[in-house]
Amino acid sequence: MAAYALTRSGIKTLLLEAGRDYDPVSESAMLKWNHQAPLRAGTTPDKAFGYYDATAGGGWEVPGEPYTTAPGTTFRWWRSRMLGGRTNHWGRHVPRFGPYDFKGKSRDGFGADWPISYEDLAPYYDRTEKLIGVSGANSGLENHPDSSPGVLQPPSKPRVPELMIQAAAADLGIPCVPSRYAIMTRAIDDPHAPRQACFYATPCGRGCAIGAAFQTTTSLLPMAMGTGKLRITTNAMVSRVLTDAQGRAKGVEYIDRKTNTTHFVAARVVVLAASACESARILFNSHTAQSPHGLANSSGQIGRSLMDSTGTDIMGHIPALEGRPRYNEDGKDNAHLYIPFWLYKEQAAGKLDFPRAYHYEIGGRFEMPGARFGLGGAEDGYGPSLKEDARRYYGAQVSFSVRGEMVPNADSYCEIDPGTKDKYGLPVLRFHWKWSDHEHRQIAHGIKTARQIIERMGGRVLTPDIPPEQAIQSGGEIIHEVGTTRMGASAADSVTDGYGKTWDIANLIIADGGVFPSNAHKNPTLTIMALSWRSMDHLATRMRKGEI
Amino acid sequence: MTEISRRVTLAWIAAASAGAFAPGLSQAAENGLPAPWANAAMPPSPGPGYGHDPDLNKADVPWPLTLNPHQRATLRAAADLMLPADAHSPSGGSLALDAFVDEWISAPYPLQQQDRALIMPGLAWLDEESSRRFSQDFVSAGEARRRTVFDAIAFRDRVAPGYEQPAHFFMRLRSLMLTGFYTLPAGMADIGYLGNVPLATDYPGPTPEAMAHLNANLVKLGLKPFSPG
Repeated sequence: MAAYALTRSGIKTLLLEAGRDYDPVSESAMLKWNHQAPLRAGTTPDKAFGYYDATAGGGWEVPGEPYTTAPGTTFRWWRSRMLGGRTNHWGRHVPRFGPYDFKGKSRDGFGADWPISYEDLAPYYDRTEKLIGVSGANSGLENHPDSSPGVLQPPSKPRVPELMIQAAAADLGIPCVPSRYAIMTRAIDDPHAPRQACFYATPCGRGCAIGAAFQTTTSLLPMAMGTGKLRITTNAMVSRVLTDAQGRAKGVEYIDRKTNTTHFVAARVVVLAASACESARILFNSHTAQSPHGLANSSGQIGRSLMDSTGTDIMGHIPALEGRPRYNEDGKDNAHLYIPFWLYKEQAAGKLDFPRAYHYEIGGRFEMPGARFGLGGAEDGYGPSLKEDARRYYGAQVSFSVRGEMVPNADSYCEIDPGTKDKYGLPVLRFHWKWSDHEHRQIAHGIKTARQIIERMGGRVLTPDIPPEQAIQSGGEIIHEVGTTRMGASAADSVTDGYGKTWDIANLIIADGGVFPSNAHKNPTLTIMALSWRSMDHLATRMRKGEI
Repeated sequence: MTEISRRVTLAWIAAASAGAFAPGLSQAAENGLPAPWANAAMPPSPGPGYGHDPDLNKADVPWPLTLNPHQRATLRAAADLMLPADAHSPSGGSLALDAFVDEWISAPYPLQQQDRALIMPGLAWLDEESSRRFSQDFVSAGEARRRTVFDAIAFRDRVAPGYEQPAHFFMRLRSLMLTGFYTLPAGMADIGYLGNVPLATDYPGPTPEAMAHLNANLVKLGLKPFSPG
């Protein structure tokens, strides 16, 4: 997004990508069947989201590029080493942050407020949604802001299991509304990046050759290239930002991954958008005699306030969905409905025992059978009855994925591991992680409520009823890690201002999720992009004025 | 008749008919212990894996398959019994589920290696148990006798004492065969998967029949139905 916004403002931009070049048009495995891949395209340590997942050369572990965790803690760090990064395979669920989400501390006293408000970002949400192509509908619900008229593309018709969840939720006073996905239901014409509407087949995580599911490699990057202002260098592993005698950023040093040679490129401005933890790592590794604890780290906040979303899944078997009439339930590759947080008033009134919100991403459909095909725990016996059971139980399961907001805490952060280096000789990150009771109580509420919805459908909960401390997924696993270079109102307790400009170095800008002071339960990518666009517009203005 | 009781009855019939053609059965059932489970150390699969960045449009299996012809024949016989041919789809053995299980347990990844350490002794156990009962290995014993071996380990509420480990093997084998079977075109057609077809229109949503079925069930649950269409 930064490259798109800067080149659009006429600024010559060099994009350094640590991974390889990637072309979804020729490389993505659209429409392939699972039986055509090894292990029915199932997950392995080599391809953690399955054989056909778009991620190239990445995953929870990247060969030769380790990270470590402090003894007794668990944190998992997903990386993509490819042009376009994680946008090639992300979930594409794009709820907007609302007014409360920027001012959490003012509401409940925890964490930190953002230095900007919803109103500051609202125009950029509209512009970003329009640019990337978001289908969905306005809900009009509290703290779930509507988009301006003409921004959203039409939502898709809900599937039967989603309607059943909606009916049961409504009976319990819980909203279930059209979801917003960066998956286009209408084509967007562009001379450099024409994108088609979704054709409602093949999982989006494989990458989308027709450009319907948003990823930068079919949209922002070719559009930026079209300005003639962008140059892209792949396999360029940035090692550090270099500064001049006045302490200004003068460029970056990178290692060519193919030749293992070190290069320097000079720049008027350096923008870090390497993902929250990678940008923090680069700043740590850019330490100088004047800044021994990392560049732009006079606040000591780099690496602190590491947050992820909370997550747990609850599965249910619904007898009323057994043996239902077949039809094509592929649709967009996500639920067409979702359950936004609905208890803000109760929370403000002190009726809940946890401080921040969550939502459910729901599931249930006649899915393309894959390596995890099963009968939802109903497998028994063999022979003719097993085949009958497969027919009966197919499409009769529903799922509820809790995604919640974590309160930042002093025990969750990353730093440089003093003893470990990657294959390029660069010091690596060491993670520290701890969920607090805030998150455990929130997860407990999410589990309890999902069970109620399943039971209201006459269903049987398949997920064991385990304590939230065990049910909550590990830190990093939701891949919403943010906060490690947070923005704020004061140089004393934040790394950047409200435009991602580091307090210490006027020509060093951060444009990824690292700048989030808090991490609303709403998936972060839309906000990362809107914020980046806003920051780059501000940067372009400063450059035009000659301030840099 | 409920599903469980029908299933149990079928199993009784199967066991009884098997016994009629298998003179050794009653004796074995009376005084025989289950065949021992041999947890021999499994040589790990030689690999290699497909790596972090395979060519998604080639999708070759890079690791060598490791089962011998007898083990493959045992798997084919098991697959034919597990998922027999019927009016909707062919049998598991005819769809090469033995090759799928071989590919799976020969893969150099942790989950597959764990399955390897269960499936390979399990295949040997099927022969041991069959030999103990009938003095014939699993494949040679014929379908009726194979069925009696399966009946000892296939039903979650009817696993005889001493058969727990083979029953665990059976559960996993069934799960692998379900995956192998229903990901194939014939299996997908059987359960009625109708997707992976590009549409030139907006997503049409549920059919009138699907909505009618939903609404009838919502009414039964005391929930508000949707307007049809």
